[in-house]
Amino acid sequence: MPEPKTPKVQRSDSSTGRPAVVAGFASGIWVVVKREMGAYFDSPIAYIYASVFLVLSSTTFMNSFFLDSIVDMSAYFDLLPFLLIPFVPAMTMRTWAEEHAQHTFELLMTLPLRSLQVVLGKYAAALLFYLLILAGTTPIVIMLVWLGSPDLGLIFSSYLGALFLGAFFLSFGLFLSGLTHNQIVAFVLATLMGFAFVVSGHEKVVAVLDGLSPGWQLGTWLFESLSVMPHYESFTRGVLGLGSALYFLLMIGFFVWMNEVTLRRNRF
Amino acid sequence: MITVESVTKTYGSLVAVDDVSFKIAAGEIVGFVGPNGAGKSTMLKMLSTYLYPSSGTIAVAGFDAVTESLEVRRRIGYLAGDTPLYQDMRVDEFLRFIGRARGLRGADLDRAFDQTVDLCGVGVVLAMRIDQCSTGFRQRVGLASALIHDPPILLLDEPTHGFDPLQVIAFRELLQKLRPGRAILFSTHITADVEAISDRVLIIHLGRLLGDGRVDELATAAGLPGDSLEATFAHLVRASASPSLDRSHA
Repeated sequence: MPEPKTPKVQRSDSSTGRPAVVAGFASGIWVVVKREMGAYFDSPIAYIYASVFLVLSSTTFMNSFFLDSIVDMSAYFDLLPFLLIPFVPAMTMRTWAEEHAQHTFELLMTLPLRSLQVVLGKYAAALLFYLLILAGTTPIVIMLVWLGSPDLGLIFSSYLGALFLGAFFLSFGLFLSGLTHNQIVAFVLATLMGFAFVVSGHEKVVAVLDGLSPGWQLGTWLFESLSVMPHYESFTRGVLGLGSALYFLLMIGFFVWMNEVTLRRNRF
Repeated sequence: MITVESVTKTYGSLVAVDDVSFKIAAGEIVGFVGPNGAGKSTMLKMLSTYLYPSSGTIAVAGFDAVTESLEVRRRIGYLAGDTPLYQDMRVDEFLRFIGRARGLRGADLDRAFDQTVDLCGVGVVLAMRIDQCSTGFRQRVGLASALIHDPPILLLDEPTHGFDPLQVIAFRELLQKLRPGRAILFSTHITADVEAISDRVLIIHLGRLLGDGRVDELATAAGLPGDSLEATFAHLVRASASPSLDRSHA
């Protein structure tokens, strides 16, 4: 090997144009996305997750579909948050814990990638995987169109809500996975957090919590300020509200940022 | 190429590296020797920017390892202890992934890939999953991943771990080939490796640097002129050993 050359990677200083910096940043994220997608699909895990999720969600939906005889997907989207409570943590629990178990965390963190590129790469790969699974439910839509005239606008809006909901669950699942080296701990923490975000939107839970704290109206406060359900349900009712979209984007941004902060703190 | 000034690293009350300073110039091969837990790996982790020092400064290729860590990472090839590799990937996939993460694309990546595969002798295992490779081959793959971007600085933590005697000889020849223009620092327990290929030796024990110089200089300074590095190393370590292994500042 001849004498080493100057690194081929451009310095990120003022001499480098903004488009090149953005392209370089995106390119680093894409390298991580490809590695993560490979990790999902090179093992049976992806196929097992996808099969279990699709079978569970579809059979439960078909049951209510035949009982109610209504040509829409409301029952499916009502059920989705409860399915995602254990499903998403099962996806995300290995994300960082596996890097620690294989000692590859050190390898990853000594590559010339920013912590944010690594976090966004892992997040984007998990989101792509979730989207692929969600796309696996499109035969239900085709079946409904074939059988009758479903409200396609409502179905589109509900899918958008499902996308935001999954993206939100993935963001805190990844963050919690970064806090521990143990996959089981990561799973339990993320499941509990998902459960809290979902059930705090249930009217009976709100009533009980309000009853326990009459002065503070804790249940109402949680429902209005933190619960994911009012925002998700606005999409499943066909309302594409800016407030609800902002809620999801802010929450996702917060947990992705927290994940990145956790990575940076590991260097100290 | 590498300047370490008064670097200390603490984990709570444990002092892993204690006020260590040294320099390594381009074209130098330096061996880093010390018993288990001496602080070798911690020092290498700080040079690679995986860890930041608690105090002191590290400059690598003129860049500060804390404030310009990304620039440092672009210029180093680092083989961590335990040789971390993605076990589920094939060898070729893994090396290309590392190349891409290091900014190589297209023809540049193909050229670097072919050159590194030849240099490290991993051509026969390219299509194998890493978890199916022998320890020696895994180590070579790790070495290839540290070299693929042609870095001016090489940091190798126990690089001959798992090598058979022939592979050790090949590794020594490889380092000699890589020497021109590069600063190379490698840690090892095997003093014979250091004597065979290093220009200089750093001896560390209980986080403190006990010696920095050529093997003959260190032996003379220790009052053992003409003795082997092994004898000098044992003498220095025993002479510096404190009554207890307590390395806390508490």
